[in-house]
Amino acid sequence: MAERASDRVVRLLGMVAFLDRHEDASVEELARQFGVTSDQVMADIDTLWVSGTPGYLPYDLIDFDFSSYERGVVRLTESRNMTRPLRLSAREGVALVAALRALDAGLAGALDDERAAVVRSALGKLTAAVGDAAGTVDVTLTLAAAPAVAAALAAALRDGRRLHLRYVNAADVASERDVDPIRLVTDTDRSYLLGWCHAVGGERLFRVDRILAAHVLDEPAEQHGATGAGEFAPGDDGELVTLHLTSRARWIAESTPVQAVRNHDDGSFEVDLRVVSPAWLRHLVLQAAHDVLEVRPAAVAADVARTARAALAAYGPLAARTAEDS
Amino acid sequence: MATQIDPAERLLNLLIALVNTHGRMTKEQVRTSVAGYADAPSDEAFERMFERDKDTLRELGIPLVTVTNAGHGDDFGYRVDLDAYALPAIDLTSAELGVLTLAAQTWQDRTMRGDTARALTKLRAVGQAPGASELVTGLAPRVRSGGTVFAPLLDAAQARQVVRITYRAANTGEVRQRRVEPWQLIARRGGWVLIGWDQDRAAPRSFRLSRIEGSVRTLGEPGAFPPPAPEQVERAMAAWRDGPSRIATLALLPERAEATRVRAVEAPPDARDWASDPVAGPLVAGRDVVHVVYRSEWELAEELVGYGDAVLVLDPPEVRDHVLALLTQAVALAPDDERGERRG
Repeated sequence: MAERASDRVVRLLGMVAFLDRHEDASVEELARQFGVTSDQVMADIDTLWVSGTPGYLPYDLIDFDFSSYERGVVRLTESRNMTRPLRLSAREGVALVAALRALDAGLAGALDDERAAVVRSALGKLTAAVGDAAGTVDVTLTLAAAPAVAAALAAALRDGRRLHLRYVNAADVASERDVDPIRLVTDTDRSYLLGWCHAVGGERLFRVDRILAAHVLDEPAEQHGATGAGEFAPGDDGELVTLHLTSRARWIAESTPVQAVRNHDDGSFEVDLRVVSPAWLRHLVLQAAHDVLEVRPAAVAADVARTARAALAAYGPLAARTAEDS
Repeated sequence: MATQIDPAERLLNLLIALVNTHGRMTKEQVRTSVAGYADAPSDEAFERMFERDKDTLRELGIPLVTVTNAGHGDDFGYRVDLDAYALPAIDLTSAELGVLTLAAQTWQDRTMRGDTARALTKLRAVGQAPGASELVTGLAPRVRSGGTVFAPLLDAAQARQVVRITYRAANTGEVRQRRVEPWQLIARRGGWVLIGWDQDRAAPRSFRLSRIEGSVRTLGEPGAFPPPAPEQVERAMAAWRDGPSRIATLALLPERAEATRVRAVEAPPDARDWASDPVAGPLVAGRDVVHVVYRSEWELAEELVGYGDAVLVLDPPEVRDHVLALLTQAVALAPDDERGERRG
C-alpha cells in the first residue's frame, strides 16, 4: 500500500529538522534514524531538493551540498525556515503516553531495573512535552504471571537463552518441555509466550498463567526461522464449531481467533471456530454460559452439558444448599 | 509538460509557502503560485484539494491561521506560525526511543497505529540515533482495537465535545440513543469502555465500545463541558476496578487444576475445617483443600468453572453461586433429546 501523504510529509520535515542538528549524516544513518530504506531516503532528498517557496528558483528551494551528496553524505545548506521539530498532535501524544503508562504498570514484572528506569524516563519526558491531556486513555495490561516465571521469561528473552517449562494445557494436563522463547505477548486480558517448542518441534503459544515453573537454561535459544504467523491466526485444523451468542459476549469475537462472525438483527451473533482442543472449547462455553444461546454441532453441546452435569453432581448437597438459600 | 505532483510534495510546498509568506497568502495565491495546485482541473477540484490539505496539516498538529484584511472582512488569507507549533525541547536517548517504538507498536487499532508511527517520526527527528531497541526485545504488548468508534470518541473526549451514540444495553438488549459527555476511554479485561456523563440520565455511566452500534456523532461545539472532577471519574471507574484481595477456599482433585494450585497461599487463620463439616466433609474427602487469592468474584468463577468437577468452590458462597449458575446454564445447552433421556 502506498504511504500516506501526511506520513511522508512528517518524515520530510523530520529529516530537515534532524539534518539541521546533525551535520553530515550519511544516507544509511538517515535510513536507520527514520526506519526506512536508503532508496526511500534518496527519494525523500530528491523531493526536498525541488521543494521551496513559490517561484521555485534556485534560491527559493531547500538545498543540499551536492559534492557531499555524491559521497553519500547529506549536508543541509538551505532549510527555508523549516528546521523546527513538529509538536505532537493531541492524539499522537495520548497514544504514546497511554501505552508507556501501561508498560510501566503492567509489564513491570517482565522488566529489570534498567529497562523499567528507561520506560519511566521516557514517560516523564513525553508527559512533560504533551501535557496533562494524556489522561483521556487508560490502558491496563495483564501479565498474569507468577513473579518468578515473569522474571525467567524476561531474562531468557533478553539474553537469548532456552527455557525449561512446566506447563499445564487447556485439558489440565501438565508436562515438561524445553522452549526457545520468541516473544512475550501481553494484552489487557493475559499474556502468552510464543516459543519454539522442542517437545513438538514447532512454534507454540503458551498461556503465561499456565506456566507452572520456568528455568533459564545455559543453552542459547536457536533461531528457527520463526514466522509468528501462528500467534493468533486460526488454523485450518480442528473441528468447525459454531457458537450462537448474545450481544454481551462480543468479547469472544474480539479475543478469540474466530473464522467468521455473523450478526443477527436482534443483536445476537454467531461465531465459527476451529477447535483443536475440546477442553479449550469446553472452558470457553462454560465461562460464557450465560451468553451462549446454542452450540453446534449438537455432539459438542452435549459434551459441554455432560461436563457441567458432572460438576453439579460433584457439588452434591452444596449445590442444593445454595439453591435453597436463593 | 506538467506531471502530476505527489500529494506529499504539494503539502510540503504549501507548508513552506505559508511559513515563509510575508503576512498571509490568499487562496487564489495558493492556487496560482504553490507547486501542485495548478494541477486542479476545476474550481471545485481546487477547493477540495485545498480543504483536504488544510485538514491534513491540522491533523499533523500544524493548523493554518486565518488572517483577515482589516479593511475587508471577506478578504482573508492564511499563514502558518511554526514557532507556535514546535515540539518543546525533548532530549530522548536511543534507549528511550527504543521503548517508545515498543509503546507505538502496542496499538492494534489502525488509526492509533498511524498516529503513533507519525509521532515516532517526529520524535526521531530530535532524538539520538536508534540502536538500543534490543533493550526491549521479545516484549510485545498489545492493546486490541476499540473498533471504528474508538478514534472519534477519543477526539471528542480530548476536545470535550458531547457525542450521541446508539447503545445496546447489556441486560435488556434494548437499543437506545444516548447523549454522553465523554471523559475517558479505558482498556480493561474484556475490552474497551467509555466513561462519561450520561446527559439523559444525568449521571455518570460507562459504555462498552463493543455495544455501541453505528457511528459516533458529535453534538455542539468543543469545550462544551468542564473536565470531570477526579472523584467523579473515580466513582464511574469503580465498577471496572478489581476489589480488595480476598481468599477463596477450593477442593481440588489430586493432580488437577495445577495452574490454579500453583497460586495457592497458606490457609488464613480463620479457615474452617471443611473435612469435618457435616455437609461438605464427604465431598472434600479425596480432594486437596487449597486457598487462593482473588480480587474479582466473576473472574475467579469463570476460571474455575472450566475445570468441571475437578474443582469445587467451598468458600466464598458468592463465587460458588456464580460457578453453579454457569454450570446450570451449560446443562441447558444439551440438545433436547439428551435432556429428555436424562429426565425420563
